[in-house]
Parts: sequence; C-alpha cells; structure tokens
Amino acid sequence: MLFLQLLLQGIQTGALYALTAAGFALIFGATRIFHFAHGTSFTLAGYAFLFCWNGGLPGWIGTLAGIAVAMLFGLAMERLVYRPIQRHEGSFFTVFVAAFGVAVVVQNLVGMVAGRGFASVDTRLSLATEVLPDVFLAPIFWIAIAVAVVLFAALSAFLTRTHAGVALRALAQNPDLLRAYGLSSNRLSMLAFAVGSAMAAPAAILTAMTTGLNEAIGHHVMLISMAATIVGGVGSLRGAALAGLMLGVAESVALQFVDTQWAEAVSFLVLFAFIIFRPSGFFGVAQTR
Amino acid sequence: MSGPQIARRALMGTALAAPFIRPAAAQGGDPYVIGTLFPMSGPNGEYGTLFTSGAALAIEHAAQDRMLRRPMRIQAEDTQALPQQGVIGMTKLVNVDKAHYVLVGFTAVSKAVAPVGDRAKTIMVNGGAVGPDLAGLSPYFWNVIPLAHLETQAFLPFLMQRNLKRIALVYVDDPLGDAILGLLRTELPKTGGELAGTFSVPRTAQQFGPVAARVRQVRADAVYVASFGAQQAQIIKGLRDNGIRQPIVGYSALSIASVTALPEAEGVIFTSQKFDYTGGSEITRRFATDFKAKHGSEPGAYNANYYNAVRLFALLAKDLEAQNTEVNGDSLRATLLRVREFDLVGGKGRFDDQGNMSADIQVNEIRGGRVVPIA
Repeated sequence: MLFLQLLLQGIQTGALYALTAAGFALIFGATRIFHFAHGTSFTLAGYAFLFCWNGGLPGWIGTLAGIAVAMLFGLAMERLVYRPIQRHEGSFFTVFVAAFGVAVVVQNLVGMVAGRGFASVDTRLSLATEVLPDVFLAPIFWIAIAVAVVLFAALSAFLTRTHAGVALRALAQNPDLLRAYGLSSNRLSMLAFAVGSAMAAPAAILTAMTTGLNEAIGHHVMLISMAATIVGGVGSLRGAALAGLMLGVAESVALQFVDTQWAEAVSFLVLFAFIIFRPSGFFGVAQTR
Repeated sequence: MSGPQIARRALMGTALAAPFIRPAAAQGGDPYVIGTLFPMSGPNGEYGTLFTSGAALAIEHAAQDRMLRRPMRIQAEDTQALPQQGVIGMTKLVNVDKAHYVLVGFTAVSKAVAPVGDRAKTIMVNGGAVGPDLAGLSPYFWNVIPLAHLETQAFLPFLMQRNLKRIALVYVDDPLGDAILGLLRTELPKTGGELAGTFSVPRTAQQFGPVAARVRQVRADAVYVASFGAQQAQIIKGLRDNGIRQPIVGYSALSIASVTALPEAEGVIFTSQKFDYTGGSEITRRFATDFKAKHGSEPGAYNANYYNAVRLFALLAKDLEAQNTEVNGDSLRATLLRVREFDLVGGKGRFDDQGNMSADIQVNEIRGGRVVPIA
C-alpha cells in the first residue's frame, strides 16, 4: 500500500511540475530565451491568489488575479528586460544574469510586502482522508489532475488549431521564414511569454493550498522546470510535461526504496541519466556536430 | 619633474584627503558597532526580522537610559542561514566594520563563523541556535539561549508522562537536525522511550506528503519535528494534510509566527526558554510593554534573547567605560567572567565559564494561534 500511496502523491506533485515545466518549455522553445525568472511568475501568481483568498474574495477571482499577475510579469520581462538586451548583444549569459537579478529583487520585494516566512491557503481541499487501508487522498489530488489534463488539452488545441498557435510553433522552428511571411516575431514572442507564464499560475495556486509558499519558492520551481525541459527534450512541450510528471512520480516513489533524504536527489539522478544516456531527452531531436 | 610641481600635487592631494582625515581622528566618539549575522532573506528571513527587533529595542532602551558614553548601531549582514554567507559577513564585520560585538543565530552559521571571530577576538553571541555543540565553541562565543540538550532534558519526562513513548523524528539534514537526532538516540531510552523512526529531509525540501506516508508506517505515539524556518510549517502542514493525527512536538524554533498562525499547527507542543512577562522583573515588564507598543504583538523568546544579548553588551561596556578600559573582546570576556550575573529580561542571567547562560525551560502548546505555557 505504501507504493500506491507514494505513486498517487507523485502523480499529484508531477501534475503541478508538468504545468510549470510546460510553461517554461513553451517560452524557451518559441523564443530561445532562458527565462530564469519563470519561477518568479509562479511565486507572484501564488501570492496574488493568497492575497485575494485572505481578503475574502471568491476563489475564481483569486485564480484570475494569479493568472493576470503571472502574465503581466512575463510580458514585462519580455518587453523591459529581454528585448533591450537582445537589441544589443543578447548573449545567453547576459540574459541569464538579468533574469536571475530580477528574480532576486522580486523575491525580496515579495518578502517585504507579504512577510518573510511560510504562507498557505487554508482550505479543506488539501486535507486527505483514508480511501483505502493506509492510502490517503485529498480532494486536491483530483483537482490537480483535472486542471493539468484540461490545460494541456487546451494548449494543444491552441498550438495546433489556431493561427496564433501555429505561428508560435513556426517561431520555434524558423523565425526568418516567419518574418518573410510578414508575421511579427516580437508579437509572437510576447504571446509565448503570456501563455507560458499563465501556465505557472494554476500550479502556483494548487501549491499554495498543498505545500504552501515562501518568497524563495521560485528557485525550486525553476530547478524542476529546467530539469523537466532537459529530460523532456529541449523545445518539446509534450516532453517537458511528461518529464515534469515523471520527476514528481520519481521523487515520491523513490521513498519506497531509499531514505527520505534522497527524494529530491532522485530528480537530479534522472536528469544526469538523461544527460549521459539520452542527451536529446524524450522528444528532442538528436544533433551531431 | 620639478620641485614646485611636486609641492602643488602634494597640496592638492592633502586637500582632497582632508575630509577623510577628520572622521578618522574622531573615531573615539563613533558608535559601538553591533554586527548581526541573521538570515534577512530566503526561507528563513522571518527569523532575521524577529532577532533584529529584539536587538533594536535593547539599543533604544540603552540610549533612553544613557547607559553608555557612545551610542550603539546595528550593522546587518544577511546570511540567508547559510554558513558560507555567514563567513563572508563575519569577515566583513570584523575587518571592515570593526564590529565590537556580533549577534549570530543558526547552528550551522554559528559553527562556521566562530573561527573567524575567535581569530579576531570578537565576541559572538547566539540567541537563536540550539545545537548542543555550540557550548564551548570559542572563549569569545557565548549563548544566551538554552541549548537543545537542556530543552530535551526538560521535554522527555513530559512526553513520557503523557505516554508519548514511541517518537518518530523528522529532522533537517544540518548540524542542528543531526544534534537533535543524537540527543534523542541517547536520551530517549534513558527515560523509557524509543525512537520509532528517523526521517531526514534536505534543507531545500518542499514536498512532505511522501515523508508523511513513511512516518505513518512506523505507528509512532508522537512526531518530533527538528527543522527551522518556513520548512517547519511545511512539514507540519504536510504531516497533518496527509493523515498524521498523532501529536506533533518540537523545540523552540517552532515559536515563530508562520508556525503558530498555521491552522494545522493547533495542538503542537514544544519547549522554549521560560519568560514571565507580566509578573517578572521591571526590566522584563518594560521590554514586554514597549515591544507590544512598537510591534503590536506579544514578544517571543527570540525577541527576548537578542534583547538580552544587546543589553548584556551595554552592561559590560558600561562597566568598562566606568573603569576607562577599552571595549574589546578580551575586556568584555574578562568582565563577563568577573560579574557572571546580570539583570536581563526573564530575571537574573547567570553565565558559566564557557559563556553559556542558564535558563529555565517551559513546555508550550499552540492553541488558537497563540503560544500557551502548559508546564
């Protein structure tokens, strides 16, 4: 029964990882910008929801506020940080340092405004009950699964059945050709940031209900997103989502076999294994030089 | 190069340097520098705010009472509760800021910075960390908080009285967590208890649902949480949300607002230093009244400990000023060992040869978001 319990908890955690990782992969795949501050979108969305919830507002308003804040932050980063850098030289390192700097500043601002410490949404949705002998499940398990399935279905539909979505995929594959067809890569880049950042909001809200938030949580989220992007195959949305789910399950199920101390390390063991044995990830394209 | 050119340059150089020469000459009237090595950001930033508020109030009170000829000022360095950041901060405090006295917290940080302070002969005072090996770390390292072994000695008989004999320990992989594991391993059997299971978690761990599943397996009577900062609250929420109904117990680090305000923390039992803010000494009542007026809440043990740490400096420096003796690590230490007993918040503070203050321990329970002493 312990294995089943760990598997179910891993699926719940993995669903949240998948949502966040898919947002990061969408942005990176379309724009090739290493958006390290994606974890900050997650943090801001979580706290926006928390403020609304604590202010007595209905959950749907909090959810909209979380999505709006995450999108606005993503758009602001694209317009005010990444685009000016890319106009001049746009090296990977400069972009990374700029994003890292913004993440640290926002982390401290969140601490100053929201308080330094743990914060969580007080809800009975996260309270597990015994559904089978020694197997506990909370209502939020089903919510996390449903949210992940619905959002991935919607995202797939958007990317395959709308002009904007197809253009986003084209931006990832051949930006020059895209421009030759008269489409604006700048606008599409903003769209990628808006959609990718919005993907982090539901995961942040569910995290606020389950494990809770602190102002530094973005770094952990970013580590998982990066690992999932690499394991899934750089540029592959499907791969990032699958890898996020797999990492969540792996770090939970691992406790059946190893000490609790090693739960987090398992994610990175999986990452190393992929880097060594399958560097292109699940769905990445192998390249030779 | 001709002579007059050199003279002109020397004159210009002297003129430019003049503004910097004057403050150097006036160094004797400068404030005493109280360095702080607290986590001011990151998941443990809450502690930095708590620690600093106690220290700042003691400086205010010392100024109001005109205890010293020179003012005191706080020079803060953010450690993020990480040893490496602590060493960087301590090096700056002793070499650049010439700190007279440094306040530290967190076991891992304290152990990392102690050699730096020891070499510089700068007094370091801990009011937040409880690792038992902090006693005797250096002649210049003092503790104004009872260390974990004292908390455990007082707590284990209480747990046995309540028939909480099989204890599961969830502890952070850090010198503090390891120290508590060592204490429970040796002390629990002596009191008739046993360690039902031990579950180490990394400092950065966020998910505790799977840990709760493992904890459930050992069927303990109570779960002891030995962590700190935001992670404690995450562990408690993770355990309660995932079917742990047994009492959750711990040590003084649980007295922070993000734990006490957590609905899942209702009924958590922990030890801390004993303070009687209503019926205590005049110093204790003044501290409690002014703290509440300033911050709108009752003070906690950490506020009082760092208040005491700064008040201790003021008392020692006052004694040295009266004898026209320079205030430095050696003179402060000599005065501490000569006087030994000081009027501090909570009553008389008595120090042993290693600079450890003894204090009574109380057992508390979180009830309705408040810390209520129960034994």
